[in-house]
Parts: sequence; structure tokens; C-alpha cells
Amino acid sequence: MEVKRLKVEEFQLVDELDAKDSEDTETSPPSRIEIISMDPLEMEMDFIGYDISLINAYRRIILAEVATMALEKVYMYNNTSIVQDEVLAHRIGLVPLKVDPRFFEFRNEDETEWGAQDSLKYELKVRCTRNKEAAANETNPDVLFVNRKVVSSSLKWIPLGNQPDIFQEANMLPLHPDILLAKMNSGHEINLEAYAVKGIGSDHAKFQPGLCWYRMLPEVELTREVEGKQAELLQTCFSPGVIDIVTSANGKQIAKVNDARNDSCSRNVFQHDNIKDSVKLTRKMDHVIFYIESHSALKSYEILEEAVKILSTKCDTLLGEIEKHLETAMDT
Amino acid sequence: MNAPPTFESFLLFDGEKKIIKEVDTKVPNAAIYTINKEDHTLGNMIRMQLLKDPNVMFAGYKNPHPLEHKVVLRIQTSDASYTPHDAFMNAITDLISELSLLEERFREAIREKKEGFD
Repeated sequence: MEVKRLKVEEFQLVDELDAKDSEDTETSPPSRIEIISMDPLEMEMDFIGYDISLINAYRRIILAEVATMALEKVYMYNNTSIVQDEVLAHRIGLVPLKVDPRFFEFRNEDETEWGAQDSLKYELKVRCTRNKEAAANETNPDVLFVNRKVVSSSLKWIPLGNQPDIFQEANMLPLHPDILLAKMNSGHEINLEAYAVKGIGSDHAKFQPGLCWYRMLPEVELTREVEGKQAELLQTCFSPGVIDIVTSANGKQIAKVNDARNDSCSRNVFQHDNIKDSVKLTRKMDHVIFYIESHSALKSYEILEEAVKILSTKCDTLLGEIEKHLETAMDT
Repeated sequence: MNAPPTFESFLLFDGEKKIIKEVDTKVPNAAIYTINKEDHTLGNMIRMQLLKDPNVMFAGYKNPHPLEHKVVLRIQTSDASYTPHDAFMNAITDLISELSLLEERFREAIREKKEGFD
């Protein structure tokens, strides 16, 4: 092999060119984001060329710091059902509400009143009775009793202060009307008042706006030609759509990587000694697939928008604090 | 039940400072910052940004105990004319500009996508 020898001057030139190249990439990073799919309930997006710590910061903020409204305090006036007071209160707390948290403030810890700007009042008054219209031979308890099941739609919104002028009842109810809270028998009664406040996930998981996770883009590379029966076996080792079987130029059925994105990274291929040498499974470290799923009043993209705002504020506050620190350090 | 109240994780106590600086006397150009009521979200991000700085010799962070809501960040620079404080300030300023760029891109991407399904 012929080795090209460079003179010292040429070396410097190469060095300069290299330096220029790296500078170019630094000033205009090839980083970008792409939204793959988006609807109010869930979204999938790609972060290309971003540091993982940034993406993880967004994930952590979505799970722990994006605020939503949830029922926090329950005043139990009467509960003769078999569900204990604290268990019932806990179940009520977990009910997601349709209320947009951005209209509300955080409630002050030592506040004694329930203000219209920071809290919501709900009432649950149900009594189970025997259904007089049920057939004599009826055995199904759901038919035999009226109000056998206490579900989230039984929670009634009671407006506080000026809330009736601002909000409509339809937007204040539980997100799902059919969440089972308790089952009762004839003569049982539940009478309670519940108050919802604004809170964040690191206080209690009921305040989480949704789910959020990410994974790095999988890459599948075939290191040799795989044909016939082996190709079919290879295809079954991956998630559907990852491996395609195509007819090669000389008429053989060979395996081809179609879309590694769909792969679940099961590594099943390594169980088969005859094909395990044919693939290389890796992850693309600077390509992150990010998912958000909403189970609250906020839509998936609103959750993201909120998280972005929170992270920027966090950094701004910190910068302010350091600047203040620098001033006091100079004074002394 | 001896768990501390959960709201302690995000509310500063009365008189508690957000950030405390301590100069590391064992080595030159080093400082230890204690940031109260922050966690891996910021700690890891700032450390990443500091490590991109060629004049930063060392940057590391830890959360000393999961029930104590603070992170400890240690920065050492390679030159006395560039203090850890400068490095910290630069890192956060850069981070903020990167985040605002990202914010802009999010808005753009979401708006485009929304037009699609309206």
C-alpha cells in the first residue's frame, strides 16, 4: 500500500481545514426535531442530535413538574358503604379531572378558605336502595339495587365564588365518567364533599399529566447475505416490518433490513446459532424517539409546551440566583 | 412513617438560599456549588453543558441523599483567569439559548402538525 507523505506545511493546512469543519458544525448543529405523529391523547417525536441529558430533563419535568388539578381534600359526612373512609378518599383523589390547570393558581399551604382562584368543590351524595321494579326472580345485583355502583360521574361540581361566570360545568367534570369508586348495598349511603387543587407530580402521582418515555433509535445491520429458510427465520426474530425478504438479482430470496425503527430490540436472533453471526444490533445514540401520552386535561402537545416553559424558567431563575450571588461575593 | 413531607422537594424553607458557593481550597480554580431544591433534571444538564467547555477541567454533580432535595456541583477550571463562576454562568447562558432555540422549534413543529389535523 502506498503511503502519501505530507510536508509540514501541508499538515498545517489539513489541520486548519479540520478546525474549520468542526467550527462549522458547532455554530450550526445538525440538530433538529420531528413530530412523527400527534393527536390530543398521544404524540411521538424524534430528537436528532440533542444531548440525552436535555431530553431526560424534559421527561423528568413532564413526570414530576407539569401541574394538573386533582381532588386533594375530602370531607366525609356519612359513609356507611363497606369501603373505608380513607380508601374511598384515596380512590376519589386518583380521578382525573377535565379542568384546565392553567386557569388556576397553586393553593397556599396555610390557606384556610377554599378560594375560587385555586380550588374546586365537588359533592358526592348517593344512597343505595332496593329497585322496586326488578323482577321477582332477579339475581343480578346491578338490577336489584339502585345506585349499586358509585362511579366518577356521580361527583357533582359545586361552583365557588365567580366560577359560574368563567367555567361551564361540562369542562369541570371527571375526564372519564365510568371510574368505579365504590359498590354499595341496599341502605348504604355516601355523603361527602371534595376539593380539588393544583399540584405537581413530585408531590403525588395523581397530579401527573400523563406518561412520558424515550428510547434510542435501534439499528439493524446485516453483515452477510442471508437467504432462503434462514432469511425467513431471521424475519421471525424481529418485530413485524423490520426485515423484508426480497428477490435478489440472481433469483435468490434474501433478507433485507426494511425499517429498524419498529424493532423491539428483543435480541431473539442470538438464540439461533446459524444466523446469529449475520446481524449487528446497535442503537443510534444521537437519535431519540420521545413519546408523550396524556391522561389528564392537558393535550399531549400542551404537556410538552408546559414542560418547555418550566425548564426555561428553571434555568432563568438559576441564572438570576448566580448573578445575585456574584454581586454579593464582590461586595464582601 | 418518618418520610418528610413531599412539598419539601420544591419549596425553599424560610431563609434558605437557592444556591451556596464554597471555594475548594485543596486545588486551584475549584468551587463547589450547592443548589437547593433541584435534582438530576438540572444537575445532569448543567454538568453536560460544563463538560462541553474546553476550559473546564472538571465538572461533576451529585445528589447527596435522595431525601435531601439538593444537588452539589463541583467545577474546576484549567486557568485562573477563567473562574468556576464564569464557567457556570457561561454554561447556563448557553443552555438558555439552546433551550429557547428548542422552544422555537417545538412551537413551529406543533403548529405545522396542528394545521394538518384542523
